[in-house]
Amino acid sequence: MQIIGEKINGTRKRVAQAIMERDSAFIQDLAIRQAEAGAAWLDVNAGTHPNREPDDLIWLVETIQPVVKVPLCLDSANPQALAAAIQVVQQTPMINSISGEPSRLEGILPLVAKHSCPVIALAMDERGIPETCEQRMAVVHKVMEATRAAGVPDEKVYVDPLAMTLATNTQAALITLDTIHAIRREFPNVHLTIGLSNISFGLPARSYINRVFLTLALQAGLDSAIIDPLDREMKAVLIAAELVLGRDRHCLNYTRAYRAGVFGK
Amino acid sequence: MSKELVNAIADMREEDALRIVREMVESDSDPMTILDAAREAMAVVGQRYEEGTYFLPELMLAGEMLGQITEIVKPALAKAPEVTRYGKVVIGTVQGDIHDIGKNIVTFMLDVNGFAVLDLGVDVPPQKFVEAIRDFQPQVVGLSGFLTLAFDTMKETVDAIKEAGLRDGVKIMIGGGQVNEEIKAYTGADAYGRDAMAGVSLAKQWVGAK
Repeated sequence: MQIIGEKINGTRKRVAQAIMERDSAFIQDLAIRQAEAGAAWLDVNAGTHPNREPDDLIWLVETIQPVVKVPLCLDSANPQALAAAIQVVQQTPMINSISGEPSRLEGILPLVAKHSCPVIALAMDERGIPETCEQRMAVVHKVMEATRAAGVPDEKVYVDPLAMTLATNTQAALITLDTIHAIRREFPNVHLTIGLSNISFGLPARSYINRVFLTLALQAGLDSAIIDPLDREMKAVLIAAELVLGRDRHCLNYTRAYRAGVFGK
Repeated sequence: MSKELVNAIADMREEDALRIVREMVESDSDPMTILDAAREAMAVVGQRYEEGTYFLPELMLAGEMLGQITEIVKPALAKAPEVTRYGKVVIGTVQGDIHDIGKNIVTFMLDVNGFAVLDLGVDVPPQKFVEAIRDFQPQVVGLSGFLTLAFDTMKETVDAIKEAGLRDGVKIMIGGGQVNEEIKAYTGADAYGRDAMAGVSLAKQWVGAK
């Protein structure tokens, strides 16, 4: 299970402020704590407007890199910002993200292929997020055709089946879970990741929903998630769910995490 | 009856609300009384959402109930309902972006706060905003977008409104994602709102409503 740490994201107010003020200490602290909490990747999203996004993303990369060993997941829809940041990364970054949208495939996929990056592929296109599992699969097929044609091996693709909020459609989680099953069946070698917390947007006490959804998604075949690694309850649920699902030989991850104080009694 | 209706809608009792509406229609109540009650209830729902008692699902259900009630009442309406409105707002998610939840909440809150709102939907090209401003003649235009790339299309939309000679006739507000003073300046909008109520306050301020 690979956790992509979500906290360094300029769409969060406090992070946006740190980016504007070039507050390295704040960003570095977020990076170190997420890495210590077991993030396999650190998502880095400047969230600023396209004019300054390349500079901001470069600043973030150069601020984070010296203090953690964890590779970065460069998060932008803007090919210029991604191309600029790729120049300064020391370890091959993951790219977040491509989709079925032609402009993203044309602008971002060549970068992914050229630098042999793992890439997150969203099950949506220029018409938006498809309502049904079948329609999302049609987009996934289109994107996978494109990544294969570009020479990107399936193992480097992290397909995101997309979670929409239950607040506006109570079938939303089921659609996502069905899509995870279908992707697992049709593309056995890809990874599956998800921006988990969307599922509970607009609802109170979101963490319960997020945790149950994570558990069900793991059962369906999710092997990565974009979450807050500092959320102890979420970590506990994740580790316990993997054990229950037979993915923790001799229960060692679970008992080790317990001994390390990741979660308590 | 109409107080009962207000409560049924405001308390999310959908079946009761629709039953009361049908009964009122059958007993020849003034359709405007029904619609007024519905609007009053919507304001209560908006208030509860603002306070944090209600959440997005309640807003959605309230919107659905309002739609169903309007359908039931429609045949009984001799003419289109005349409502006193503070002013008119054209709103939409700008081209290149398809996020609509924030925009829908702002639309709902503007509506319950007395604005006539024309919602152009998502991925709306600048030209469509220009046409809507010509036809609908709003005082306020709301541009929504969550993606950073939307800031460019917000700017293009403001420019297109300017080029069409319509800029002086409207106030433009932007919202969504991490809009701030800098983004506002970049796009050429008049103001930005961090949440739905901020948008309502701006619109009220601009049309001179209390």
